[in-house]
Amino acid sequence: MHLVVLLKRVLDPEIPQSAFSLDPERKEPTVLRHPFVLSVFDGNALELALRLRDARADARVTALTFGPRAAEDVLRKALALQVDEAVHLLGDENGLPAGRKARVLAAAIRRLPPADLVLCGRQAADWEAGQLGGMLAEALGCPCLPFVSGLSLAPGGFEAVQQVESGQAVYRLPGPAVLTVTNDPGNVLRPARIKDVMAARGRELTTIPLEELLPGTESDEARVETLDLRLPAPRRRAEILDGGGAAGTAALLARRLRELGAV
Amino acid sequence: MTNIVTAVWAWGGRVSAAARDLVQSAGTLAAETGGELGVLALGTGAQIAADTLRAAGADVVLTCEEEALDTAPGEAGLAALVAGCEVLRPSLVLLPADSLGRDWAPRLGYRLGAGLVTEVTDWSLEEGRPVFQRLVFGGKAIATMTVAGGPAIATVRPGAGRRDEPPRAGRGEARDLGLAIEAWPSWPRLLRRQTEERQGPGLEEARAIVSGGRGLGGPEGFEPLGELALTLGGAVGASRAAVDEGWAPPTWQIGQTGKTVAPDLYVAVGISGASQHLVGCSRAKTIVAINRDPEAPIFDYARLGVVGDWREVVPALTVALKEMLAD
Ligand SMILES: Cc1cc2nc3c(=O)[nH]c(=O)nc-3n(C[C@H](O)[C@H](O)[C@H](O)COP(=O)(O)OP(=O)(O)OC[C@H]3O[C@@H](n4cnc5c(N)ncnc54)[C@H](O)[C@@H]3O)c2cc1C
Ligand SMILES: Nc1ncnc2c1ncn2[C@@H]1O[C@H](COP(=O)(O)O)[C@@H](O)[C@H]1O
Repeated sequence: MHLVVLLKRVLDPEIPQSAFSLDPERKEPTVLRHPFVLSVFDGNALELALRLRDARADARVTALTFGPRAAEDVLRKALALQVDEAVHLLGDENGLPAGRKARVLAAAIRRLPPADLVLCGRQAADWEAGQLGGMLAEALGCPCLPFVSGLSLAPGGFEAVQQVESGQAVYRLPGPAVLTVTNDPGNVLRPARIKDVMAARGRELTTIPLEELLPGTESDEARVETLDLRLPAPRRRAEILDGGGAAGTAALLARRLRELGAV
Repeated sequence: MTNIVTAVWAWGGRVSAAARDLVQSAGTLAAETGGELGVLALGTGAQIAADTLRAAGADVVLTCEEEALDTAPGEAGLAALVAGCEVLRPSLVLLPADSLGRDWAPRLGYRLGAGLVTEVTDWSLEEGRPVFQRLVFGGKAIATMTVAGGPAIATVRPGAGRRDEPPRAGRGEARDLGLAIEAWPSWPRLLRRQTEERQGPGLEEARAIVSGGRGLGGPEGFEPLGELALTLGGAVGASRAAVDEGWAPPTWQIGQTGKTVAPDLYVAVGISGASQHLVGCSRAKTIVAINRDPEAPIFDYARLGVVGDWREVVPALTVALKEMLAD
């Protein structure tokens, strides 16, 4: 059994608004000094793959990233968690239309042993598009099941728990398929052991230069253009209520709420 | 001229308020351009729902009640959508940003060679081209996007593009899509749904919401929050941190990757005010923050704030409101 997990390196999404600024020319955030991390839902996807491997001795996990040299970080992180192979599709993914990005990633996946499942995040924690998983499924010619939070082995394939508005839906699927993964208390990425982090530094990565995959992936699809990127307008600071002690403050708050028509 | 297609789920003949809103605002947009609005109604009961959709402004309603939609809503719905687009040839497809719309949009986009903009919060037309607004970087920035050189697809968040006008009158034709969908063995097959029972109103329709975050320190904190919500006749929500801790179920999560809510009153308890949380409650009329850290970013966002320990403030507020509401 072979599981491929897609990992993207992103600007730390938890930096506060006050530390966040934009480069209007490039229509990108300014990245000076800010840390980069593994995109959050990709961590959840990796955890689901690792759990399946824990449950089945012959399962293999491949981590795959597409990005510049620095994106290697996320592969080292995956290697420290004992993935079997790490593949770096080396090139600039910025500015590639989404459909094209899906096609080159599909081409990279086809070079690997046949995948039973491809797992990715529900959306990357930068531009938050939430489109790659579905497009990749199309490029690979297989079904897609989005918003998966739990995954287990089942007769003839897999059982997946999907998060929907009203609760959960449980699906049975034979694979191959692409799953997009969402967070849940049950799929928090495990921490790596220090000694494995050290060992991962020296591990070999498989590198595929983007140029090797690009020919033949041209198409005349529509383009999405970013016309403008701006910061939200600042809001006014809250009116802080203090009625001297909890009871007094609570009474004051209740009164203000009535004045504002909120209750 | 922009021909628009939307798809709505019509299980049991019911159409959600959000879907009706979407049809109505899409109809207005189509009319502005002299185009037509086609609506795909999917699921058992679609024919019953057709009347509601016509009243909301559809020119053409195509219905599909194939059984495969029940066992493989994602895959079968996509097949119906592709067939519907072949008939209606839209230049713009608007899908709800819910679990099915988000599932279909990228796959339909790939098949149609369309440009996709997801999680749209508003739109306009400029020189006949749709221009979309959306939040990116966890709500820390706003992007304006458009699609050139082919059809556009957008998934739209609840309330996006809403104009306070009555629905325009569409042609109101309804017919069956005429597509037989056979489930493929490779498709994920739905085994069962586990629907969570909730007391009181759901988050989407609650007039008051009390939300808890990591500051609650444990699942017990949600009990006093529940009492406050009950007093207000409202519902309880949670931040992602509280969900990740396992203190609240994922269906309670509010924010960018949770629910978008629009109550009259939103009380954020022990929530720091990360942008990803705030985008889920920004449409609330009045936001109250209860946090013991006076520097918490939530105080730069809320209308009213109390700096203090929720363990004291929340029960006291429940008592004060009970007294006030008893008067
Ligand atoms: C891609 C992505 C998507 C995300 N989607 C969402 C989403 O949909 N929804 C969401 O909520 N988050 C989301 N997040 C997470 C978000 O960035 C924050 O991490 C999260 O909202 C923090 O939750 P919190 O405010 O409960 O916890 P914290 O940030 O830890 O804040 C806890 C607060 O409690 C206060 N506190 C502590 N003790 C007390 C006390 N006794 N009384 C009063 N106050 C107290 C503290 O002062 C602090 O301000 C997302 C993140 C990413 C990267
Ligand atoms: N450059 C990339 N390298 C690896 N995985 C990616 C890349 N871009 C997107 N993905 C995967 O696709 C998911 C959805 O991305 P997006 O559609 O861009 O929001 C992410 O969570 C990743 O798992």
